[in-house]
Amino acid sequence: MIRAPAFLSGLGRFYIGLVLAFLYLPLVIMAAMSFNVSPFYQLPFEGTTEWYVALAQNDGLIDATINSLEIAVLTTIIATALGTAASLALFRYDFAGKRILQALLFPPIAIPWLISGTAMLIFFFGTGIGRGLHAILLGHVALALPYVIIVVSARLATFSKDLEDAAASLGATGWQTTRKVTLPCIAPGIVAGGLFAFAVSFDQFVVSYFLATPGQTTLPVEIYAAIRKGFTPEINAVSTIIIVFSMSLMLVVSRFFRFGGDQ
Amino acid sequence: MKTTTAILAALGLSLCATTAMAKDLHVLNWKGYGADEPFATKAFEKMTGDKVVNDFFNSEQEMLTKLRTNPGLYDVVMINAAFMQQALDEKLVQPIDTATIENYGDIDDAKAKSKMLNVDGKTYGVPWTWGLTTIAINDKAFDTPPTSIKEMWKPEHKGRVTIRDDAVEAVQLGALATGQNINDIEDMDAVKKSLADLLPNIRTFWSSENDWNQMVASNQIDLGTYWSGSAGRAKVKFKLPVSLAVPKEGAVGWLDTFAIPKGSKNVEGAEKFINYMLSPEFYTEWDETVGAPVSASNKAVAALPADSFNRKVMGAPEIAERVQFQEPITDEQREEYLKLWQSLKVGAN
Amino acid sequence: MAAGAIPSNDTDRKETTPMAASGAMKQNGLRKALPLLLPAYAWLTLAIFLPLSAMVYFSLLTSMSPSEQSSSLTLANYATFFSDPLYATLLLRSLKLGLLVTLICVLIGFPAAYVLAKIFKGRAREAIFLLVILPFWSNSLVRVFSWSMVLREGGILDTALNAILPFHVTFDLMYSFPAVVIGLVHSYLPYMVLTCYLSLQAIDDALIEAARSLGATRFTTLRRVVAPLALPGVLAGSALIFIPVVGSFMEPRILGGRTGTLYGTVIEDQFTAVYNWPLGAALSFILLAVVLVILLVSAPVLRKAA
Repeated sequence: MIRAPAFLSGLGRFYIGLVLAFLYLPLVIMAAMSFNVSPFYQLPFEGTTEWYVALAQNDGLIDATINSLEIAVLTTIIATALGTAASLALFRYDFAGKRILQALLFPPIAIPWLISGTAMLIFFFGTGIGRGLHAILLGHVALALPYVIIVVSARLATFSKDLEDAAASLGATGWQTTRKVTLPCIAPGIVAGGLFAFAVSFDQFVVSYFLATPGQTTLPVEIYAAIRKGFTPEINAVSTIIIVFSMSLMLVVSRFFRFGGDQ
Repeated sequence: MKTTTAILAALGLSLCATTAMAKDLHVLNWKGYGADEPFATKAFEKMTGDKVVNDFFNSEQEMLTKLRTNPGLYDVVMINAAFMQQALDEKLVQPIDTATIENYGDIDDAKAKSKMLNVDGKTYGVPWTWGLTTIAINDKAFDTPPTSIKEMWKPEHKGRVTIRDDAVEAVQLGALATGQNINDIEDMDAVKKSLADLLPNIRTFWSSENDWNQMVASNQIDLGTYWSGSAGRAKVKFKLPVSLAVPKEGAVGWLDTFAIPKGSKNVEGAEKFINYMLSPEFYTEWDETVGAPVSASNKAVAALPADSFNRKVMGAPEIAERVQFQEPITDEQREEYLKLWQSLKVGAN
Repeated sequence: MAAGAIPSNDTDRKETTPMAASGAMKQNGLRKALPLLLPAYAWLTLAIFLPLSAMVYFSLLTSMSPSEQSSSLTLANYATFFSDPLYATLLLRSLKLGLLVTLICVLIGFPAAYVLAKIFKGRAREAIFLLVILPFWSNSLVRVFSWSMVLREGGILDTALNAILPFHVTFDLMYSFPAVVIGLVHSYLPYMVLTCYLSLQAIDDALIEAARSLGATRFTTLRRVVAPLALPGVLAGSALIFIPVVGSFMEPRILGGRTGTLYGTVIEDQFTAVYNWPLGAALSFILLAVVLVILLVSAPVLRKAA
């Protein structure tokens, strides 16, 4: 234990308080403005729920929300499955060119989304794959895959290969070993990877922006269009709902996983 | 690979299937510009059964690119007449059978026969509305409305002026301020200098009506360039302190038209929609409850009350002689304007 | 986040896997690994590597307009970048923005992570850590947009300041360069706290205590013991922030106004408005090259400094 003097640790707490205020201030204000009557965010504050009523009738935003959720769920399933398989292979087997394969995971993270997005636009448009929800899904899975592989691999690194060998020596087939021994052990890593995939997809704006078509669009793209073209506090209403939704989801998840705990 | 593509194809199909629906009418227009008014889309749906699906653009360039990259998607597009030539060159629009549009005969003759809209005996654009790009003021900032465009350059408005983020509009503003013909600018250096002088006064560039209205609502600007119909909407619909001022140096006139994009899947619906947009019923309600520019249809304008702004002021001869109507600009000019505008914004030269 | 995990994990395994010894086994390994690897890498090929190749090709085209049939290969799009100072100015401005935002994130994020890892304990630490990273799971676009309500004149800060202060002040940062910086810092700060926290947490407290008991001051301990050990976390966080910020276009558009023209917004314009995809592709590749060079150059230099 390091004994920090009381004033230093008090200062530390105060500082964290400031950082948290910085992080949350705009979110709180935005939520408050979704209940303000003026479409131009004029003060003084006058309460209303009309923007939530308007939102309930805004088919465009509702469709986009459903699309976003569908794509995020599909991305999570596909990226987690493909990523876990690849992580297992990279963990178990050794072969020439493995380092190159591992290095190839980084471009989706290390290339600015603007470039990935425009490159996909050019390629999908040019080859007839086209744009739209399927193209957005293609892109999101690719962006999420490296995160899944990194997170699952990190978990695998703490997993002893002896366990797999022991199962094999007891006569378990490869698939049995994977299903009964390996997967249960790395399950927390897989779930964490899946969460990352969900977050990457649900939050992704840039790549979706270039791949969306009118009618086949996601929530962030729709919100961006709304901000640029002027939709007023309905955006605040939908944003408030997103924030409450995603934060509660994370809180629920954190009940099961200790993020940043001492372990 | 095979399995993934199979899964992908299946997913793609199922995702696509949920979005396609018959009898939709896809309209591409500015946001908040008549065609997306709830009263209008409801009335049209009741009349014809077609559901209006609106999509919006933020600049004429974006409008053209949406047509290019989404062939076959849109059924009606609103095109500024000055941009029709470009749409025609790239074969983005198709000829319109004006006989199917009952209200076409009410359109002001000079506008209907405009060379910008009729090529080789075929009509590609149906005039809808016209108006001015001119100065609008925040009433709180002025006791008497300014009469000169130079007001925007005055030091007391430092940081309180806005103009649209659009190369062509900016250059034409510079041309008006330097006393030039907007369609035949001879002294580009003067235009550039006048815009460079204006920049310190600019708060920000606006790109949507909402931007403009928001800045007035929070009292961030004194004056700026605006569209005549939009200024009307700010006053009528949003009760904002906005007035239009047509300066003595003149104003830029534009003609907005409807066209049918090539590959439209609902041409019949498009014709009905254009017809409805020209009707006096639509126009009077639009102007009175929301605020509109001047209809191209004489009959629609005549249906307005005699003292209405669009009938009285916009129809007055002293306004008419100040207006310089936009003509098409060539690709070279557009490039030149864009370059000038970008370098001004960045402050590179 | 756990970006650092892969290399170390790889070397660990080398020591524990005797299989790696023979070449024949390696062949065997690849055959077994292939079915598991193929789906993931096929997907990456389709969605990342082929598009990037297509982009190289596009950046060499003269035109994509269907009316001009004779589209041929050229370097003109790259020449445009060098002939017009506009693009270099903007690229420089975007790089500066990236550096500034990254630097501010380090200055704010590292102390926060330090306090979190070394002062808070147990449940309190867990709860606050969660609070810091929670905004990261809400939508980034929404967060940027929320600042437009805070920063404008007649907005919350302006109203609040004037209610408190006895004299009138005009507070209006909206549509300015600082507004863009604030919005971006807000968006990316949780990344920095996260990566710094992970590396600080791994530092054994005993090490710090040893330094202190040997007479090192607090500051010396921080500089000589903690900082070098935490450097990988700072670097990982910096890369995760710098890369997207350099290519940002949405944040400057919403918060920047007159000053919001950046390299990213010009690229976006080529694709969504001007319809000059070849030029957009060329500009994108120049950006990619610059980013890669910066990453390659800075990595060993910074590692040596550690």
